[in-house]
Amino acid sequence: MGFVPTSTNVVRFFVAAKDEHYAIETFSLTKIFPDWWGRAKVIAVDGLDLKIRYNEIYGLLGPNGSGKTTTLKVLLSLLRPTKGRAVVLGGETRDTKISAQIGYLPEESYLYKYLSARETLDFYGRIFGLAAKVRKSRIDTLLEMVGLAGMANRPVGTFSKGMTRRIGLAQALINDPELLILDEPTSGMDPVSTRQMKDLFLQLARRGKTILLCSHLLADVEDVCDRIGILYGGRMRVEGDVKSLLQHSDEKQIHTGPISNDVLGQIERLVRAEQAKYEVSSPMDKLEDFFIRTVTEAQEQKLPTSGAVSTGEIGGFLAEGEQTSNILDRLVSAPVARESESQPGSAETAEPEPAVAEADQDTDLLEQLTKSSTIPDRRDITTATEPVETVVDDQEDVNRDVLEKLTGGTERQDTSIDKSGPDQPGEDKDA
Amino acid sequence: MHSVWAVAKNTLAQAIRMKVAVIIIILLVILLPLMSVIMVGDGTLLGKLQTFVSYGLSLTGLLLCLLTITVSTFTLTNDIRQMQLHLVVTKPIKRFEILCGKLLGVVILDILLLSVFASVIYCLTLLIPRLSKAGADELAGAGREFFTARVSLSADVDEDKIDMLAKQAYEKLERSRQLPESMTKEQILSELRGRERTQAQAVEPGAQRVWEFENVRLADPNEMLFVRYKYEVSVDPPDYRVYGTWLIGDYRQIQYGLGDWESPVARIERSELIRQFHEFEVSAEVVASDGYLALIFANNPYLNMTTIIPQEVQVLLKTGSFTGNYIRAVLLILARLIFLATLGISVSTWLSFPVAVLICAVAFFVGTINGFVLESLGVLDQTPNIIYNLTLRPILWLMPRLDGRFNPTHYMISAEVLSWRFLGQVYLMMVFVKSVFLLIFGIWIFSNREIAKVVV
Repeated sequence: MGFVPTSTNVVRFFVAAKDEHYAIETFSLTKIFPDWWGRAKVIAVDGLDLKIRYNEIYGLLGPNGSGKTTTLKVLLSLLRPTKGRAVVLGGETRDTKISAQIGYLPEESYLYKYLSARETLDFYGRIFGLAAKVRKSRIDTLLEMVGLAGMANRPVGTFSKGMTRRIGLAQALINDPELLILDEPTSGMDPVSTRQMKDLFLQLARRGKTILLCSHLLADVEDVCDRIGILYGGRMRVEGDVKSLLQHSDEKQIHTGPISNDVLGQIERLVRAEQAKYEVSSPMDKLEDFFIRTVTEAQEQKLPTSGAVSTGEIGGFLAEGEQTSNILDRLVSAPVARESESQPGSAETAEPEPAVAEADQDTDLLEQLTKSSTIPDRRDITTATEPVETVVDDQEDVNRDVLEKLTGGTERQDTSIDKSGPDQPGEDKDA
Repeated sequence: MHSVWAVAKNTLAQAIRMKVAVIIIILLVILLPLMSVIMVGDGTLLGKLQTFVSYGLSLTGLLLCLLTITVSTFTLTNDIRQMQLHLVVTKPIKRFEILCGKLLGVVILDILLLSVFASVIYCLTLLIPRLSKAGADELAGAGREFFTARVSLSADVDEDKIDMLAKQAYEKLERSRQLPESMTKEQILSELRGRERTQAQAVEPGAQRVWEFENVRLADPNEMLFVRYKYEVSVDPPDYRVYGTWLIGDYRQIQYGLGDWESPVARIERSELIRQFHEFEVSAEVVASDGYLALIFANNPYLNMTTIIPQEVQVLLKTGSFTGNYIRAVLLILARLIFLATLGISVSTWLSFPVAVLICAVAFFVGTINGFVLESLGVLDQTPNIIYNLTLRPILWLMPRLDGRFNPTHYMISAEVLSWRFLGQVYLMMVFVKSVFLLIFGIWIFSNREIAKVVV
């Protein structure tokens, strides 16, 4: 089972290192923790072959002690593998050229408690060698993004756990990384922050970033990940697309608007004729949606709070490389703009019209997109790494945003999570 | 370099928030001005100045050494224990840059604190004569013997002759079969050498001893030169004082009776306490035109009943300013701080905080008595003991030397010049050889260390 360093394997590694198809690749990765006498005591990771593609959000799941964090630590060269090898972005993370492209958020933020939020980001910005001007600009943007602009000069040691996670995330993003490795990113965060963070992951992935996410919170993983792997006892038990793993292809679900009992009776008869199970109920909001709606209303009313208030906007430098001349990308940015409108200070001034106006200019294209009967899910298109993938990905956003704007469907303070969540209309259509 | 600087800045921020740093700063802020007031020395202005500078620099040096040991061992071990380092090492920074940054941070802290407190001591030292009620003579004396920098000339002891005499004495004991059985040959010879050395310096009642110096050059012939010495005796006199007669000048004129003397010979008669340093001044005219100078000490049998052993006899000539000498003394303290900082960082790459502190503290205290330790183990040094040569000897070599000539207060008390050359030698050995060796060792350990290693 273990890795035997034969010449064949060496050649294989070399080829693998040059293979740009995978952002992360491990070969029979094994990590054994010894006791004081050097005897093998705990096999934390056992012959793990992990392959994570570029521009993919991968969720690594497992119960406590299953080897998730140990795997991350080996990937980040915090631990040396007992056997096997890990290749990250085509090399080893001890190489500073590789580590310069990685953002890491550990399970505890491990920040210097005496440094303020601004000093913390400045410290890591300096390590990345960012010029003073760029550093300052990014720090301001990130603090604004994670909702800590008002507490920029407070020592991190005085922060709550959620706020510490926010500043931890900000430090992970200061270098605009190609690969984000996140260990329990939403632990200790309130539902609004969790939602914002998940939004951020999706937006980063949409902009070509690769994310390896390790979490106990299965709902978070389900909402954002393209693929998941479940570890147990240091071994990979299950791996695959979230949709293919979770979808019950032998059951169907119908969502309708208000309908009469007669119609319901007809449907019931039809279903019974098929000898299938039948159940009718009124849909319920998820508690998360309800909570977020309540908090958003309070924020719109500018009620006082001593906690963090995020703008929900992605940092400008993180969005660099976005083709703003492209109508699809402009539309992608529309929900971000709308989210910012809901924040205190901008709620009264921002209007949704410009996004609609932009959309109107490309009516033909939009009609073509919105009429598409098979809307591709993000999870369906992550296997490829070509740029066309991003365009296809954005189609879903275009569909929903434009539909909402054109139909005035602003009942729910929507976020991009809803776009790919299992309860979304797009998926229902497929069903 | 940006990474090193970032870590250094962070280390500095960490250090100045440590309670031990705050306590040491507060202690020095309170104690130094207090010492300048309450310390009186022997009651003279010179004594007060010597005592204050000596204790002030010693206290500052000691506390900063302790602070350096604490900070340098804490900063890395704490980052590893609190796991902040888990995040730092995942950034584009090499392990050696982390260590260099940590070291730079501690050294910057040392430079800042040493500059501040050395300046405080300097200002208070200049202020003491102005605030004292000393007369003009005392002020002038302090100017001559304290606010100056003087080069010291010591008469070399003829070690070859002492060695020969010791060997002769050993052979004599061997022939008469009186060699002590419990001692090795080297131990006996070492003891005999010491005895011969003392005998060579001893002046019996009615006898005299001559110290000769060559190439005594003064920048200004109108300057004064100083003779410094202390007395040991074979039997303590009742009042612990001896009466010494000193002749200073061109001894050849007396010895060979050249008639009209070309240069004057000064005669000094003094009654002084034993086992304390004493000093007197004479005109530089006593130096012969070819740079020859002799000191003659005579033990007057009418005044003394005991054998007198004048020790550490030196001729002091003015060569520089107090300020320059003081700066060099402070730089000497900095050298030991840099060494301790490197030692602390190096050992904390593989040891926990308490053990690392202990190692550094032991190194520091061994350094302060290095001369004694080396002397104690001198016997082993002369034997081909492979275990000693492979273990204790390299460790002793690595230990800092902080006593004797390496102690800055030694130069301040006697106003003896601390030369740039000696300072350079100290930096070369203590900073550029020993510290760099320790740093490279630490980097090697740290680069190969699993930062997140867990022992089950």
